[in-house]
Amino acid sequence: MNERNDVTAEDTFSEKAKAAFDESVDNLDGETRSRLNRGRQAALAEIDRKRSAWIQWAPAGGVAAATLLAVVLWTGNPAVDELAAPAMAADIEILLTEDSLEMLEDLEFYSWIELSDETDEAMEPANNVG
Amino acid sequence: MNAGVATFAVSCNGEDRTGVSTLQSEAKLNRFFAEVEKRALRIAEINIRDRDEALDLVQDAMIRLARNYAGRPDKEWAPLFYRILQNRIRDWQRRQVVRNRVMVWFGKGNEDNDYDPVAAAPDPAGRSPDEELQTHEAMQSLEAAISGLPARQREAFMLRTFEGLDVAGTATAMGCSQGSVKTHYSRAVHSLRETLGEHWQ
Repeated sequence: MNERNDVTAEDTFSEKAKAAFDESVDNLDGETRSRLNRGRQAALAEIDRKRSAWIQWAPAGGVAAATLLAVVLWTGNPAVDELAAPAMAADIEILLTEDSLEMLEDLEFYSWIELSDETDEAMEPANNVG
Repeated sequence: MNAGVATFAVSCNGEDRTGVSTLQSEAKLNRFFAEVEKRALRIAEINIRDRDEALDLVQDAMIRLARNYAGRPDKEWAPLFYRILQNRIRDWQRRQVVRNRVMVWFGKGNEDNDYDPVAAAPDPAGRSPDEELQTHEAMQSLEAAISGLPARQREAFMLRTFEGLDVAGTATAMGCSQGSVKTHYSRAVHSLRETLGEHWQ
């Protein structure tokens, strides 16, 4: 019973407070209302500004997207990779050809010749003496 | 050729629809602002006790809502708007605390914070002087009592009673649970009734 009375009293109090508040709102002076109106118009202009900014940047965005697409298509072209792969294979092939091995054999041969020449030179005085 | 004309026609219709829809949403937002702006101003003014600053805060809250939430369903606008406003009020109060501390440090009092509710009171309209005085005095004492409440109780009371938000809307505006709103509101009413005494019973 007491609880219900408390709730009723609270409601009555809130109604009175609301009435006094509404009264103060209704009595706002003209200058204040005018400033509120200007503030509201400024806020609504913000929507237009946002929209016009979007429209202004839309062509630039389109160009940027098209450029990006072109770059992706260009760098992602499979033909380029197909050319690069055989080139690498060709390098390895050149390194492993028999000619290269022959060259190594030739190096050994040239080194043997050089060594034998030195030996001959060293032997020559003895032969002369003989 | 025909296909090109058809495409152009569809595109034009699409733009028309978008334009109309934008205008409709702008008109709705205009109505919403017109509906809440005066109450929002008084709520801000009671909180910070400065009408000029309160006007700035309300305008700022309107701009932020229009910029960031205009596309949201219009039922969400009121809680969002009051959430923005409450945040702006709290920021303002924090800045004032810092400013006052700095002023005290330099030996200057807060000379321009002397709020005179009588001087700031609105012009009367269509009531007898006695009635006007009674209402004015009642509101004055209510404002003073509200100012003495803790911040969260003050917010809950004003949003529920003055703005008429329901518990869920108040919870969204305050950024807390519905249970907290009920607790803050109940304590606020209890405290105000005690402070204002039999004059308000």
